[in-house]
Amino acid sequence: MDTVLTTKHLTKDFGRLRAVDDLSFEVKRGQVFGLLGPNGSGKTTTLGMLMGVVNPTVGEFSWFGEIPNHHVRKKIGAVLEHPIFYPYLTGQKNLELNAMIKQCPEENIPGVLELVELADRRNDKYKTYSLGMKQRLAIASALLNEPTVLILDEPTNGLDPMGIAEIRELIKKIAANGKTIILASHLLDEVQKVCSHFAILKKGRLVHVGPVDDVGKGAETVEVKADLPDFTEVLMQFPGTASILPENGVFLVTLREDFHSKDLNAFLIERGVVANHLVTKRKSLEKVFLEILSEPR
Amino acid sequence: MLHLLKIDLKKLTSYRTFWVVCGLYFLTIGFSTASGMEFLKWLANTFDKFGSSLNIDRIPLYHFPDVWLNLVWWSGFFKVLLGIMVVISISNEYTYRTLRQNIIDGLSRWEFLASKILTNLLLSLISVVLIFIIALVTGFIYTPEINWNYVFTDIEFYPAYLLELFTFLSYALMLGIFVQRSGLTIILLLLSYMLEAIVKANIDDYFPWLIPYFPMESISALVPIPFYRYAFQEIQDYVDPAAVAIASAWMILFNYFSYLKLKRSDL
Repeated sequence: MDTVLTTKHLTKDFGRLRAVDDLSFEVKRGQVFGLLGPNGSGKTTTLGMLMGVVNPTVGEFSWFGEIPNHHVRKKIGAVLEHPIFYPYLTGQKNLELNAMIKQCPEENIPGVLELVELADRRNDKYKTYSLGMKQRLAIASALLNEPTVLILDEPTNGLDPMGIAEIRELIKKIAANGKTIILASHLLDEVQKVCSHFAILKKGRLVHVGPVDDVGKGAETVEVKADLPDFTEVLMQFPGTASILPENGVFLVTLREDFHSKDLNAFLIERGVVANHLVTKRKSLEKVFLEILSEPR
Repeated sequence: MLHLLKIDLKKLTSYRTFWVVCGLYFLTIGFSTASGMEFLKWLANTFDKFGSSLNIDRIPLYHFPDVWLNLVWWSGFFKVLLGIMVVISISNEYTYRTLRQNIIDGLSRWEFLASKILTNLLLSLISVVLIFIIALVTGFIYTPEINWNYVFTDIEFYPAYLLELFTFLSYALMLGIFVQRSGLTIILLLLSYMLEAIVKANIDDYFPWLIPYFPMESISALVPIPFYRYAFQEIQDYVDPAAVAIASAWMILFNYFSYLKLKRSDL
């Protein structure tokens, strides 16, 4: 797999404040990379450095193995923080201007406007757009030059639930086309739903980096229920049971290593017990996130 | 290069303020330079004494070669309007944060600055061409006897006028990049001449040789006041090479400072 982005010891000081501290990580082609962290943890500053608007104090980074320059930036579509456009220009004219800056054909404009469903508002001035429309125009602009890498910073900020769902679908659609996406967010649920890898920043330091799938690894917990008076005893007999916790009429069974929910199900069927409720509880990213952040460093 | 100019023009041509300010500027310099003679005639008709004590037809305001310098000197006063437009254009990029987005989208910081500098050059060139055409036409209308030896004498003031405008606009751009807020920048721009005059007045007794090196002074020195020739018969009908050198140095410095500031700042 080839590397899209490498950062080495990236550091940024704003006066006495160290906003980003010794950040080193890699993003490979095709990954949907989530950059997580509480507000003020240095996500936007990091992305600002990667996009050439913030000068790093120490450290370096490379895009596609190249020393960063403005030509490389043309291959990347990025929306940092808020959507930024000329308020007095129409959506269409703003995109035409972006096409000139990115040196890509204007013929791409109708396609991206269609994708973000703004085609019928394209001749209205940007300042008349709602927040959701502004966000969508920003995504359209990021996609304009058919980038191989897309950087999105809080793309669902301030959107209503429908807007959030739309943007999430859009990200999935784009990721399905094999594009590399770097997504900064503090909405963990969102990251877990769309990302393949994630990194966690805390006060500018990288505290965790790894695949999202690893989050669910480790001891499995199964939520199970059956109409049986001595159900606890049956569960106790299952060799994979580590602990049992009754909760609101269901039982939370924590399994030993190498045991999975299907083993428990097979065991119950073998015993002639039919469960009317059986759910594998995966550890949520939120839980992992809070765990990692609460670790003293 | 043309590509960068097109980018900046795309931003400006849909901006109503741009048309209002530039329209005001070009209409003002166009009409005021073209109608000087009509104005004198009106004065003569309105005030009896004015007409009798002075034969207005003998005032060589529009006679070749005087017309070249006269019109250029007069229209130079209005360059502050163009300066205000330049300030609005650059400070908008800061307030809308579009400067940041332009860089993210793939413009280098130098390219961004170059697009603004090219617009400055274009606005200066249009002014020069406009005044040149007006001077040429009015010269032919009002000069009693066309002597071809004099028609194109003194047009060296036109390159000097171009340098005057471009240096001033470079100054306005630099001010905008450093201050970033349009209101404050416009006030500073308008006060520049006055602030420099105060400094010059204080320095005059000690280091009078320093005076020509001040930026506003050097810009003004490019096109000298023409009317002395009528009052004192004392004529400077050439462009002072020292003034050109000093103003050019300032022009380069202004743009270089803009570049340095832009390169070093976090946007």
